[in-house]
Amino acid sequence: MTASKLASRSTLFTLLAGLLLVVLIGWRIAMLGDYTFARIVQDFLNALTLGSLYALIALGYTMVYGIIRLINFAHGEIFMLGSYFAFYAMTLTPMHWGLALLITVLLGGTVLLVLRSLFNLEEPKRTAALALLIFAGTFFLLAFRNMGWIEALLLSMLATGVAGVLLEAVAYRPLRGAPRESMLITAIAASFFLQNMGQLLFGPRVQGFNAETILNRPLNFTIGEETVYYTGILIVVPTVTAVLLFVLNLFVSRTKLGKAMRATAQDAEVAQMMGVNVNQVIALTFFIGSILAAAAGVMYAIRFGQIHPLMGLIPGIKAFTAAVIGGIGSLPGAVLGGLLLGFIEIYVVSLFPTLSAYKDVFAFVLLILILLFRPSGLVGEDLTEKV
Amino acid sequence: MRKSLLVAALLLIAGSLGLAQVKIGINLELSGRFAAIGNQTLNGIKVANLQTPEVLGQKVELVICDNETTREGSIACAQRFVNEGVIGVLGAISSSMSIPAAEVLQDAGIIMISTSSTNPQTTQIGDFIFRMAYTDDFQGKLAAAYVVKDLGAKKVAVFRQIDDDYSYGLAGFFDETAKKLGAKTLVQDFVANTVDFTAQLNNIRSFKPDAIYYSGFCAEGAPFMKQLREQGFTQQVVGADASDDPQCPEGAGAAFDGYIFTGFATPNLIADPAAKKRAEAFKQKYFEVIKNAKPGDFNGFVLAGADSYNVLVAAIKAAGTTDVKAVRDALANMEHYPGVSGDITYKGTDGTPKDRTIGFYKYEVKSASDWKKIELFGKSTAEVQ
Repeated sequence: MTASKLASRSTLFTLLAGLLLVVLIGWRIAMLGDYTFARIVQDFLNALTLGSLYALIALGYTMVYGIIRLINFAHGEIFMLGSYFAFYAMTLTPMHWGLALLITVLLGGTVLLVLRSLFNLEEPKRTAALALLIFAGTFFLLAFRNMGWIEALLLSMLATGVAGVLLEAVAYRPLRGAPRESMLITAIAASFFLQNMGQLLFGPRVQGFNAETILNRPLNFTIGEETVYYTGILIVVPTVTAVLLFVLNLFVSRTKLGKAMRATAQDAEVAQMMGVNVNQVIALTFFIGSILAAAAGVMYAIRFGQIHPLMGLIPGIKAFTAAVIGGIGSLPGAVLGGLLLGFIEIYVVSLFPTLSAYKDVFAFVLLILILLFRPSGLVGEDLTEKV
Repeated sequence: MRKSLLVAALLLIAGSLGLAQVKIGINLELSGRFAAIGNQTLNGIKVANLQTPEVLGQKVELVICDNETTREGSIACAQRFVNEGVIGVLGAISSSMSIPAAEVLQDAGIIMISTSSTNPQTTQIGDFIFRMAYTDDFQGKLAAAYVVKDLGAKKVAVFRQIDDDYSYGLAGFFDETAKKLGAKTLVQDFVANTVDFTAQLNNIRSFKPDAIYYSGFCAEGAPFMKQLREQGFTQQVVGADASDDPQCPEGAGAAFDGYIFTGFATPNLIADPAAKKRAEAFKQKYFEVIKNAKPGDFNGFVLAGADSYNVLVAAIKAAGTTDVKAVRDALANMEHYPGVSGDITYKGTDGTPKDRTIGFYKYEVKSASDWKKIELFGKSTAEVQ
């Protein structure tokens, strides 16, 4: 069978599946009777938020995979670290100046080292200015501010980004060139390590993440007689995800570093011969991926109000599923996959209340179907060029 | 080198000559989802061990195993205890972890006392399995009577965790009784580690419930309550003993304000004055020994943990031997043991104490760090029978 015949068959399949879905949903809405328009809107908003959260985590997953073909199972734990960093930033500040100074020196020093290696900061003047900014900023935030969620988010993104780079340097870099299975097993080990380290460092208990922020403020409105309930975060999460997708796409397609990334994704060895510093590009990928995970972690914590050391496990699996459904390695694919997963989870519960315990089954059945009929995912078409 | 060899040899000799020890295994949820309750129970056992460190002139050694709140972990702990040859195992706290461990221990002929499993199935696994708690048929009945009769609810939405033996069973007993009493119910399902309840909440919107019953744990309960209040539901929520966990108010803060739940009785709710005195004395001892304990850390789980240790030691003493079979017989024939959680009688039961007190509590929560538990009233399971 030729490639074009295959393509037309899969398009037909997609169309048929879509049609079947629309009929099924219409039938269920008619059957349920009390499924009013306000409830549909409510479900839509909830699904959009949940889906965007998955998408945000999936973006980091897919970036790493796109560059080094590694399914970074520790991504969920990086996400957990991000939310804990923000939690401590919010609850422990303002702290004693001595402690703040110590943390500033440690954190600022590491951040500076990592940033220098990532962005080739050779000009002494600029480096000094950046160093001053980082040290003064961190010290000020730690010692004098009772941090709000925005400051905590920024600080956590920086710290988590560095943690991601360190993870790559310690766990993955020594295995560069080793068979892919070794890397995969190491990733699983890193995930377990971070989970257990989290339980030791942060304690096994669930912690409340009670950010009394604008994000939790009710912004309800009414449709007819019914009220639709939503809070600020229902706007912020989808917006952040959309903006990040746009910025990342620009970064990868327009900048020099983005070009280096694409080159590394295509063929790391040849890219290295052409003068691309592959180690630096990969570290940068982990930096960006971890920053995204931290942003998702903080949003997740604000949305659901609690954090614990094992919180990354399930969202990590969901985000991985989302990335594969969308086409792993593709940025828009990750977002599409995340949204799709969010919508499935919410609407399965709404339309089939008796099956609500099986909502994850629906998501994974979709994953299997996608792998069977479109192995490269919904968006991922070209197998050679990713990110 | 020679010196260290000498030390090792000396240690070996000391070990073989040293006091014979009675080993008791402890299989608890010390990390993972039920970590808070697990550690409270462990503290209860530790304090009881401190009060009675020896039996039959031998030192009691506690072998602690963390099942990480997983079924596999619980089975692994049980198997480890079989290999180590313990006389009995205390724990686990939840039914989902207790049932698989009970199957292993029953086969091996080792005594198990689940500190707080409430699913009726647990003790029906065999004659070596005991518990310290009441069972969910009582808890569900009492809660349903309270919601329908005392709160006057005609429509009740029930939330259950479908992949947990305790939550699923309890919701069933509640649902059955509530319907018998003339209320309408609507059941919603979720699974472990669910954090997004918005779709389930949207489902109960047009049902317009007068009250909501939540039979799950706090790991899911905290996001559940937060979203419930955010989504505009103001109804009274009633929960069960799994909500007797600081992770609930600490995880969701003010959303838990006014939440009512049933649970193991604290000293004030125990009707029998002698038992109440023992419980209070134990509470004092607890705060002396566990230095960094917060007031909210003392609850019925601590008492249940302590008493599961106490009855096992008492049974060894009564049997006069560390032979497992003899100790089991002594335990099964135990009558009116004066425990810190009340009077304990196993004679003529399937391993569930005859008379237990279920307490009703209410959370008063200002914020995640500023909350307390109000004791409403206690009901004895003997009354309900």
